[in-house]
Amino acid sequence: MSIELISTVVGLILTLMVFSYLIGDNPLFRFAVYIFIGSASGYAAAVVWHYVLTPKLIEPLTDPSQLLLLIVPLILSITLLAKLSPRLSWVGNFAMAVLVGVGAATAIGGALIGTLIPQAEASMNAFNLGAASNNVDAIYRMIESSVMLAGTVLTLVYFQFGAKHTTGGSTRRNAVIEFLAWLGRIFIAITLGVLFAGVYMAALTAMIERLSSVVNFLKSLLGL
Amino acid sequence: MRIITAVLAIASGLIVLLGYFFPTQLAGVRVLLIDWAIILGGMAVLVGVANLVFVQMEKIRSRHKNGLYGALLIVSLIITFGLGLLFKPDHQYMHAVVNAIIIPVEASLLAILAVTLVYASMRLLRRRADMMSVIFLISAVLLMLALMPTPFGPFPGDQLITFFLGMFSRGGARGLLIGVALGTLLTGLRVLFGVDRPYGGN
Repeated sequence: MSIELISTVVGLILTLMVFSYLIGDNPLFRFAVYIFIGSASGYAAAVVWHYVLTPKLIEPLTDPSQLLLLIVPLILSITLLAKLSPRLSWVGNFAMAVLVGVGAATAIGGALIGTLIPQAEASMNAFNLGAASNNVDAIYRMIESSVMLAGTVLTLVYFQFGAKHTTGGSTRRNAVIEFLAWLGRIFIAITLGVLFAGVYMAALTAMIERLSSVVNFLKSLLGL
Repeated sequence: MRIITAVLAIASGLIVLLGYFFPTQLAGVRVLLIDWAIILGGMAVLVGVANLVFVQMEKIRSRHKNGLYGALLIVSLIITFGLGLLFKPDHQYMHAVVNAIIIPVEASLLAILAVTLVYASMRLLRRRADMMSVIFLISAVLLMLALMPTPFGPFPGDQLITFFLGMFSRGGARGLLIGVALGTLLTGLRVLFGVDRPYGGN
C-alpha cells in the first residue's frame, strides 16, 4: 500500500468520524478531534523547532561572533521552561515580560501603520472624484463614499459608552448619541450578516469538498 | 521581582516602539529585540505543547473520564513531533500526516459548521426576534442568494443586492476594524505604561 492510499483511507475514516457529530456528540467524534489536536500540536512544535529555534538560536550558537548576542535569549528561553512547574513559574516571568513588551510595541505599530492610517486614508481617498469618468459616475461615487463614511462613524459611535448620571442615580447616554448608536447598530447588523454569509459559504464549500472526496474514493474503490 | 519584570517589559517595548520613529538610529536594537521575541515565542509554543501533554497525563493518572482520549492525543502528538524532528516538515511522511489527519479533520469541522450555523440562525430568530436579528439574517440570506449559483441562473437583482450590501457592510467593517485597532493601541499602551502586567508582575 502506498503512503497516498493510506492517508486517503485514514482521511476518509476521520471525515466520517467528524461527520458523526451531526447525530450528536459521540466517542467517534472525540476520537477524531483528539487525534487532530495531538497531530496539529506535534506538527506545530516540529515547525517551530526546524524553522524558528534551529536557525535563530541553535545553529548560530556554533558561531563565536554571535554567541554574545544569543546568551540573553538562550537564558530567557531556558527560564521559560520553569513555567511548566507551578512552584518555579515565577522564574519564567522575565522572559514573558520581554515577550509581552515587544509584542505590545509591535501591536501598537501594526495597529497604527497597518490599520488606522490606511483605513483613514481610504476613507478620505474615497471622496477623490478625480478618477470619475463622468458626472453620473462622480455622483454615484459620492453617494457610495458618503454612506461608507456614515457607516464608519456610526459604527464607532455605537461603541462610545460614555454616559452621564441622571437624577434617579442611573446612567444614560446623550439622546443624540443614543440615536446615532441605534443607526450604527443597523450598519453592524448588516456587516455581521455579510460576514456570516461569507463564513457560511466557506463552510458549505468545505462540506461539498469533503463529500465529493468520499464519493470519489468510493467510486475509485468500486471501479466506477 | 515585580519591578524588574515591569522594567524589562516597558524598556523592551519602548525601544521597539521608538525604533518606528528613529529607524536609522535604533534599527539594529529593534531587530535584535524582535529576534529575541521570536525565539521566546517559539520556545513558548514548545512550553505550551509540553503543558498540553502534562495536563493530559494528569487526566490519565487521575483516571479522568476523558483519560483515554488524552492518551490518544499524547500518542498522536509524540508520533507527529518525532517524525517532524527526525525528518523535516517538508518530508513526505509529514505531508502524509497533514493529508491524512490535519486537512481532512479541519475541513470536516468547517463542513459541520454549515449545519450548526443554520441551526444557530433558527435559534436566533426564536430567541431574539428583534429588528437587528431580522436585518442580520435578511442581509445574510440576500447576499447568499445573490452570490450562489442556482439551477435557474442568476438571482433577480443580484448586482443591486451586492452593491447595496457591499456599500453598507464596507462602512460597518471599516468602523469595526478601526475600533479593533484603537482597542489594540490602547491595550498596548496600557502594557507599556505598566498599568496592565499580563506577564505576572501585578
